[in-house]
Amino acid sequence: MSHAVEVHRLTKSYGDVTAVHDVSFSIEANKIYGLLGRNGAGKTTLMKIITAQIFATYGEVKVFGEVPYENSHALSQICFIKESQKYPENFRIMDVLDVAASIFPNWDMEYAYTLIEDFELPLKRRMEKLSRGMLSSVGIIIGLASRAPLTIFDEPYLGLDAVARSLFYDRLIEDYGEHPRTIILSTHLIDEVSRFLEHVIVIDNGKILINEDNDVLRERAITVTGQTTKVESFTAGKDVIDRTPLGGFLSAHVMGELSTEDRKQSEELGLELTPVSLQQLIVHLTSAKTHKKEEEVQ
Amino acid sequence: MNHITGVMNMHFKAKWWFFIPWIITFLIFGSNLVISFLIGVPISYPGSIAPTCISLLVIAIVIVIRMFPFALGLSVRRTDFFLGATSIFAVISAGFAIVLFLFSLVEQWTGGWGTKLHFFHLSYLNDGSVIEQLLTSFVFMLNMCFLGVVIGSIFQRFGRTGLLIFFGTVFVVATIGSLIYGWWVDIFHLFIQHSAFELAIGSIPLVVIYILASYVMLRKATV
Repeated sequence: MSHAVEVHRLTKSYGDVTAVHDVSFSIEANKIYGLLGRNGAGKTTLMKIITAQIFATYGEVKVFGEVPYENSHALSQICFIKESQKYPENFRIMDVLDVAASIFPNWDMEYAYTLIEDFELPLKRRMEKLSRGMLSSVGIIIGLASRAPLTIFDEPYLGLDAVARSLFYDRLIEDYGEHPRTIILSTHLIDEVSRFLEHVIVIDNGKILINEDNDVLRERAITVTGQTTKVESFTAGKDVIDRTPLGGFLSAHVMGELSTEDRKQSEELGLELTPVSLQQLIVHLTSAKTHKKEEEVQ
Repeated sequence: MNHITGVMNMHFKAKWWFFIPWIITFLIFGSNLVISFLIGVPISYPGSIAPTCISLLVIAIVIVIRMFPFALGLSVRRTDFFLGATSIFAVISAGFAIVLFLFSLVEQWTGGWGTKLHFFHLSYLNDGSVIEQLLTSFVFMLNMCFLGVVIGSIFQRFGRTGLLIFFGTVFVVATIGSLIYGWWVDIFHLFIQHSAFELAIGSIPLVVIYILASYVMLRKATV
C-alpha cells in the first residue's frame, strides 16, 4: 500500500469544456505533494474527483488501493479542505469541531483546541459571522486535527495574512513530523511552500505538465548573473527562458542542467550561478506560449 | 455505522431548526386562546397541524440543502448522509406526533383550555384509538419530512434549474388534472369517504417513494 492515490487516464468534461484531460499519476504515501497550476488549470476538479465529491467522465481513481466513491473505508481516510467549503450558518466553531470529531477517526480534539488558540478563533461565534480569514483558519484546523492519512488542502488560506499563513506552515510541518501522512497542497503561493514540498505536480489546461521530485526540479533551471556581454556569450546556444537586464548587468534563466565544462567556463567569466525558484520555473512553463509571442513582437 | 451517528450528531447540533415549528404552532395557539378568552365563544381552529407540517417540510428542504455539502466536505459517504438524515426525520416525526397527541389529551382534560377551544383535538384527525391517532399524525409528519427531503435532493442533484422544471411540471400536471379530469373532486371524495387513519395508511407508499427517490438522487449528487 505504498500509493496513497492512483489516478489512471482521468478525464472530466463539462459539455464542450474539458477540465481534466487524460491525466494519470500516482501519489506516494507519507510525502508532502504540491499540486500547482494557474487558475482554471483543473486542480480543484482533480481533487474533487479524488475525494468522490464529483464524478469523472472517464478514468479511474483509487485512494489507498480502493475506489473512494461511496466507500466508507476509503473516505474515512480522507480529509479534503477546500476554499469553497460550506458550513451550516448557524453552527458555532465549536459545533463544527464537534461534528468533525464524530466523523474523522483520528481526530485529536486537544490539538484542535491548541490550534484554535494559535489562530485566535472565537469558539462560540457562528460560522455566518466569521470573516473570510477566520473561515479559512477553521478549515486549516479541521485539516490538521483530522490527522487523516490523506489530507488535501485546496487554496486553504484565502483572506489569511502572512503571519497566519506562516503559522499554518509551521504547524503543518511540525505535525507532519510527529504524525506522517500524505499531504497534498494546492496553492498559488508557490514560493511560500516550495521549501517543504517533496514532490511537485504541475497541471496546466487539464494536463500534467510536471510530475517530479522537488530536488530534481530545482536543477532543471539555473539563473546566470554577470556582465551583459559575458552572460550573453555564456548563454549563447542555450535555452534561455527569461532575461532581466540591470544596468551593465544581465540576469538570465537557463533551462537544463549545466555540464562541468559550463560550470568551469562560468567561473572563469566570473558569473554567478543560482537555482531558479520554483515559482519562476512554473510561471515560465505554464506561460510558455505567452513568452514566445512576446519574444516575436520584440 | 460510526458515520451514520456522526451525521445524526450533525443534525442534532442543528436542533434549533426543530423548535421553529413549535414556535409557530404556539404563536397561533396563543392568539387563538386569547381571542377565545376575549370573545367567550367556543372556537374550533382546524389548522393546528398545518403550520407544524408546513414548517417541517421547509426545514427538511433546508436541512438537505445546507447539510449535504457540509457532510460531503467532511468525507461522509452519501449513503451515510441519507441514512442519518432519514433516521433523524423518523425520530422527529415520532416526537412531533407524540407531542401533538399529548396536547390533544390536555385539551380534552381541560375542556378546551377552559374556553372550549379546539386546537389540538380535532374531530376528523383525532378519531379512532390512541394508536390510530398517533400513527395518523406520525405518517403525516413523515410525508412532510420526506417530501421536503425529495425537494432538497432534486436541488442537490439537478440544481436550481432542475427544481424549477420539477415545480413547473407539477403545476402543469395538477392544473390539467384538475381542469380536465376533475382530480380535486376525486381528492375531496377521498377525504370524505375515508378516515384520517385510512388516508395515513394509504399514504405510506408515497413516503416510500419519496425515500427511494431521494436516495437515488443523493447517490448521484455532487457538491
